[in-house]
Amino acid sequence: MALSTRESRTSEDPVIIEENKNTPPDETAPVDAGVNEFNQEVKPVSLWADAWKRLRKNRMALAGLWVSLAYLLVALLAPVLPIYPYEQQVIAHQNLPPSFRPAGEVMLETNGTYMLKTAAKKQKVPLDRAVLSEEQQAKLDAMRADVAVNPIHQRHYYLGTDALGRDTLSRVIYGGRVSIMIGIIGTITALLVGILAGAIAGYLGGWVDNLIMRFVDIMYGLPYMLIVIIMMAILGQNIFILFIAIALVSWLTIARVVRGQVISLKNSEFIEAARSMGARKRRIIMKHLLPNTTGIIIVYSSLSLPSFIMNESFLSFLGLGVSAPLASWGSLVSEGVSTMQLYPWQLLVPAVTMTAFLFAMNFLGDGLRDAFDPQSKNRV
Amino acid sequence: MTDEVILKVSNLQTYFSTDEGIVKAVDGVSFDLHGGETLAIVGESGSGKSVTNLSIMNLIPNPPGKIVGGEVWYGGRDILKLSDNEIRTIRGNKISMIFQDPMTSLNPFLRISTQMVETIMLHQGLAKKDAKDKAIEMLKLAGIPSPEKRVDCYPHQFSGGMRQRVMIAMALSCNPEILIADEPTSALDVTIQAQILDLIGDLTARLGTAVIMITHSLGVVAGMCDTVCVMYAGRVVEQGPVDTLFANPRHPYTRGLIRSVPRLDRANTERLYSISGQPPNVIDLPECCPFYPRCESAKDICRTTYPASVATGDGLKVSCWLYPEEK
Amino acid sequence: MFRFVVRRLLSLIPTLFLIITLSFFIIRIAPGGPFSSEKQVPPEVLQNIMKKYHMDEPLPQQYLRYMGDILHGDLGPSFKYKDYSVNELIAQSLPNSIILGVISLVLAIVLGISVGILSSLKQNTLADYLSMSVAVVGISIPLFVIGPVMMLIFATSLKWLPTSGWIYDRNGLKTLIMPAITLAFPYFAYIARLSRASILEILRSDYIRTARAKGLKESVVVVKHVLKGAMLPVVSYLGPAFAGIITGSVVVEKIFLVPGLGGFFVNSALNRDYTLIMGTVIVYSVILVVMNFVVDVLYGAIDPRISYK
Repeated sequence: MALSTRESRTSEDPVIIEENKNTPPDETAPVDAGVNEFNQEVKPVSLWADAWKRLRKNRMALAGLWVSLAYLLVALLAPVLPIYPYEQQVIAHQNLPPSFRPAGEVMLETNGTYMLKTAAKKQKVPLDRAVLSEEQQAKLDAMRADVAVNPIHQRHYYLGTDALGRDTLSRVIYGGRVSIMIGIIGTITALLVGILAGAIAGYLGGWVDNLIMRFVDIMYGLPYMLIVIIMMAILGQNIFILFIAIALVSWLTIARVVRGQVISLKNSEFIEAARSMGARKRRIIMKHLLPNTTGIIIVYSSLSLPSFIMNESFLSFLGLGVSAPLASWGSLVSEGVSTMQLYPWQLLVPAVTMTAFLFAMNFLGDGLRDAFDPQSKNRV
Repeated sequence: MTDEVILKVSNLQTYFSTDEGIVKAVDGVSFDLHGGETLAIVGESGSGKSVTNLSIMNLIPNPPGKIVGGEVWYGGRDILKLSDNEIRTIRGNKISMIFQDPMTSLNPFLRISTQMVETIMLHQGLAKKDAKDKAIEMLKLAGIPSPEKRVDCYPHQFSGGMRQRVMIAMALSCNPEILIADEPTSALDVTIQAQILDLIGDLTARLGTAVIMITHSLGVVAGMCDTVCVMYAGRVVEQGPVDTLFANPRHPYTRGLIRSVPRLDRANTERLYSISGQPPNVIDLPECCPFYPRCESAKDICRTTYPASVATGDGLKVSCWLYPEEK
Repeated sequence: MFRFVVRRLLSLIPTLFLIITLSFFIIRIAPGGPFSSEKQVPPEVLQNIMKKYHMDEPLPQQYLRYMGDILHGDLGPSFKYKDYSVNELIAQSLPNSIILGVISLVLAIVLGISVGILSSLKQNTLADYLSMSVAVVGISIPLFVIGPVMMLIFATSLKWLPTSGWIYDRNGLKTLIMPAITLAFPYFAYIARLSRASILEILRSDYIRTARAKGLKESVVVVKHVLKGAMLPVVSYLGPAFAGIITGSVVVEKIFLVPGLGGFFVNSALNRDYTLIMGTVIVYSVILVVMNFVVDVLYGAIDPRISYK
């Protein structure tokens, strides 16, 4: 990620008296001067308002924002949504394709077609001339009878079912819940560790800095997913180990970025000014350094969340992630791959759902990055 | 300084489109440059000095900037209307530019020899070896010790002052008629500043190059320039021969600037003078004299109309309602 | 420049040393290994291990012996496949992984940089938007979605390409196409975005302004002045990119049934075949360390500020 920390400009172009980002957020000159020296209306613009304005203009990013929020909402509300329990198996309903019709109908239809195909192969005739054997017909009739009475066949599986008759829709929603939760917790953990490490390294400098950065460098060069796999192998397949393992190797970027920010801000003039006014170290960190790094932190979070989800899915795909009956998008895709030729929806539904979310978050992250650190894209 | 006008800037206007509105960075700038003359453009940050000079060579990035009006006459043509190929024969060749920050103005990934030789080969058609010899010669003129060895070095291997000398050598290597120096010493140590300015003065006198010197320091102006243009908020408020301007400035802004310079020959008991207020934000500037909020002699008309440029008797031109046009 | 290369070479050693030491300890302390009472290790394997590692000797001597073995290229017997040594297993499968990895990397770099240059020079045109959209797709869709979907489309439905297999089969080089594209896709996307951003950043820098002020043609400015510096972030990224390709190959090999090292790695993790795990890790790490070294040297070749002190 190419986040730039702006060095102060020494040339004079362009002539805009641009909002100086390095001004401490609270202590600018009369901010509510409603009118300037030419008696023109002047609206004070804060860093956040500025960034939000820029974000609003970016339609893809906004779309990403709404989509992500929608996903979050659904994930949050999953337990109260009117969907079937995700772990409930109805063997009779296995591998049903997505449909608006009630499950009973679909079941009869797919079973009927399957039986005809088997019969056709056995009788060595084309499909339209196949005839069901007595055994098959009997089975079908029994099913039909059951459909008439059993209310479970009135269900609707809009996105189909899997090999154990579980509703794909609920599985995808609950899978999303797990995946998103992993993403959020992972990001928060990585943030905490990374910010701490980066801030300490940046602020204290010297051998502490060297040590931490050498460590980061070494870890950066390692194929960390492999390390995670090893950890999982050694320590067992536990969702907590999963969190820790992924977070442990993901704080590196944020540490580097925060350290960079801290170093460039540490020596900047407004910190010197604050210090010369007698501000203590803690105040400097809290009131000056952190607000300026918040922008970068937000951008990083929005880009690292999808990355976490990808990593977890990767592990789940290999069979090392969450274990049954819990599902995550990754494990769902993994199951779907093995049956993708016969029942493509089992792959496509989780794949598309997950991809859409990752798309949305990536667009949002890109948009946030542009909003907080704009490059002159002013067009005539 | 000859009598011939080699460059004539006429009512130049360069605007930038931004999210907040149109920035009229340069809004009607006119001046003449004679052969061999050293002209200073003075002003605060944001007055439009650099943009003026980039506009002369049509180097304004588009978007977001655009030269929306005016003409620049050189060699009998309006060079703003030239095609890309044509103006490139002028850049670096007839009109050269050096910039403020020598740290960032040289390509850190290429050797000095590469960067100098490419200009010389391009404009003078010399073979590589001859071009390199010329480069070494220019470096020597610019005061770089052991130029034959240093020419193959990378920019980061030079100190700031040395780098600026390299830039000067590079700019003058094709013997241009005009050198535009955009605050060449602002990023350097004070002790080096004097050396660099001397170098520029020296070399340009020797080669007969006219100089447009952009600066915010009146000391530089007094020390080495023949003529001066004072800019404020994108316009030239006063211009004329240096001696006359310093002796008898008309525009309140110029007067304020000169008063702000601390004097060693006066008693130590006075407070330092500074012009009150700040330079304006040039977005959506209303139709008025932009200096009026800070002007001690402001009149009502200053709020509504911009004064036209009027010639005073002694060679100065000033735009101020204190000196209205005679009808 | 030479001194720089030597310095970098020397810094490889501690890293490798660290890795080997770590693997020594992990084999010994990890649960389920031969030295814990958890797992029932088949007696033949146990015998091999005992014999190999001279368990009766004091620890430091074992360590030295281990180090010596590794340095001689002997990675020990496998826990699971009692008739094979780790060396043999790796020797069979590593070349395939390397072929796949290198092809993917080259694909990613060449396509990525080309697209990046195209996009940046034609900023905000259709070509730009199109390329960058493809790039976002590349970094959003996980490998294990792209792979199967590609297989679904190109192999199952359109039947243009074989579903799996490797170059020694009858399908020959065609089997390389999908795995290589799948593996390269996210890295191509990232490199494209990176080069585009980097070029755009440099186009706005002061020294490009100087180059233009000297009267150089825009094409010369781009090729001679912009590209060199613009490639720096891409070169820096090559290290992590290669690490990513190694990681991704694990999945791609599984999907397309490529007989490479990745498959062994995952199975060994699931089976707790520690010698195999460690063996693969050592091999991967060596490759990575060497790759990082190459990247460092490349970076120093481009940026004189690093190598000319």
